[in-house]
Amino acid sequence: MQPSLAPGSAAPALSARGLGAQRPGIAGLTAGGAALLVFVSEECPTSAHALRSLGGLCPSWEQAGLAAAAVFEDPLEVAVRVARRLGWGGRVLSEDPPYATSRDYSLLSVPTFVLVDSGGRVAGTVTGWDHSAVAGLIGRASDLLGTGLAAPPPGGPLRKPGCSSKAAIDPEIAAAMNGPGGLDELEEMFERGWTDGLPVIPPTRERVDAMLGGRAGSRSLGAVPPAMGEATLERVAACAVLAGCRPAYFPVVAAAAEAALDPAFNLHGQAVTTQPAGQLIVVNGPVREQIGLNTGMGALGPGCRANLTIGRALRLLVALTGGAVPGAMDRSTLGHPGKISFCIAEDEETSPWEPLHVERGFRAGQPVVTLIASDAPLSISDHRSRTPEDLGYVLAWAAASAWSTNWWPLDDPSVFVICPEHAGMFRAAGWSKQRLRQFMFDAVHKPAGELRRGETTPFVHAADPATQVPKWQSADEIVLLVAGGEAGRYSAVLGPCTGMGSKIVSREVAL
Amino acid sequence: VTIRDYVSPFDQRVRPAERLAPRPADITGRHVVLLDIRKNRGAEFLDRLETHLAAAGAATSRSVKEIFSKPASAEVIDEVAGRADLVVEALAD
Repeated sequence: MQPSLAPGSAAPALSARGLGAQRPGIAGLTAGGAALLVFVSEECPTSAHALRSLGGLCPSWEQAGLAAAAVFEDPLEVAVRVARRLGWGGRVLSEDPPYATSRDYSLLSVPTFVLVDSGGRVAGTVTGWDHSAVAGLIGRASDLLGTGLAAPPPGGPLRKPGCSSKAAIDPEIAAAMNGPGGLDELEEMFERGWTDGLPVIPPTRERVDAMLGGRAGSRSLGAVPPAMGEATLERVAACAVLAGCRPAYFPVVAAAAEAALDPAFNLHGQAVTTQPAGQLIVVNGPVREQIGLNTGMGALGPGCRANLTIGRALRLLVALTGGAVPGAMDRSTLGHPGKISFCIAEDEETSPWEPLHVERGFRAGQPVVTLIASDAPLSISDHRSRTPEDLGYVLAWAAASAWSTNWWPLDDPSVFVICPEHAGMFRAAGWSKQRLRQFMFDAVHKPAGELRRGETTPFVHAADPATQVPKWQSADEIVLLVAGGEAGRYSAVLGPCTGMGSKIVSREVAL
Repeated sequence: VTIRDYVSPFDQRVRPAERLAPRPADITGRHVVLLDIRKNRGAEFLDRLETHLAAAGAATSRSVKEIFSKPASAEVIDEVAGRADLVVEALAD
């Protein structure tokens, strides 16, 4: 194969493709006055050097009329990724086997530089990296355009041979080198550490802007402990994209972030503790229906994008912006699945009681998120109770081992998620929320003498053995929610995160 | 064709590293503040340590954090820094 690109000869047509819908052609590329084609390949270090050296100049060249296009002998997604990593600011084209464009340009090796004038004629070529020859080519382009173009910066090797063009080797070998690259962008997220261990949605500028929906990305919600990274709305939006949120969910994510960053919540302690603590998000108000949160079947489980991605977005914010990476600053001995995502919406319509946000002083029509530091859910099965007293007793005693079997009293909240069938029994009996809460509090107590095995509280340690000790410091530590499928008598209790002084914090969804 | 780029979830500001204060050659005559973070039994550990430090000729005093699970307040840090030559912090049980 002999190079046949003598100056003045017609530049062969391009059969490469770019990211746009239309295939780029020589006429389009030279419309501004001239085009510089840089044939490259992912595996070639000299190609990488060329792209790195010239990439920063491309935008100014483009403005002056010289379109610079890297023509990769690689799949398009590989080409785009490599170009981005190397800071190539020009256009990106990709050709597939059998590399017809490279053949038409009689390529022997990459990188090869081809300057094309406005008439579609070859104005000069350089093969391999040759700093002064490339500078000369840019000088020639300056002459064609009648304007000065920025020259390649000094430094780095003056000359470097390239690698074989894939068009110039055995087609079978070229095909073997050309593996699929479709998942590389997802793999890159893992390489960057932008993950909770599961694949994420890459937070491209376009996606993050769509998530922000015109809100100011520079606005800060505060510093995220433990590393005190600043939670700008843009970073919160990046986490929401990574988590897989739809833009409609973003106001809920932002409100949850605001609540979590309230010092009263003590996210700092939760983020670094050896405890399993996760950050439970409870959503109330009309926003539940507006964005499709699941309050029903499987309310604490898989299946609903809104619940799972909102919870995940907050956790990614804590781990990435806040630096609480499990195994590094997050020192949780076991963790629990709610540390991946932990978001529940209350079934206010089925509940016999005022919803959580109304209890906490908001109006029923307000959209509100409430953050509670919580342990993993423990299921409570009861299909046989026929009185509210029996059911209240079973629910309450299920929490006897919350935190620890002998750690009484707890001075942090236990969250009970009451399923609709259980809630219906209290409705039928006319029990108020406060009555059930007080009944549960009164039901669970033990003499101090029975709590003195293993670790126990200083209170139990110092008390007379006959002293009756309640499970909770007060009835106010019992939080009652209603959610879940209409069939099945399974409620759940979520134990507390203790010793943190963590308070329950609510925020109106107001973005 | 434009090349896509990502918006990082990380706060990439580089914070200057804090420099360690110079270490004294010995503790005789030095003021050592023992900081109790309120973790279970941390005070007992500091009691024992205080005895040894006093025997070695150091002056000692105590300070305490609001709660172990939050960073020390600026007031506590300033107060300790104002009177201490050395600080010992009891971290965990």
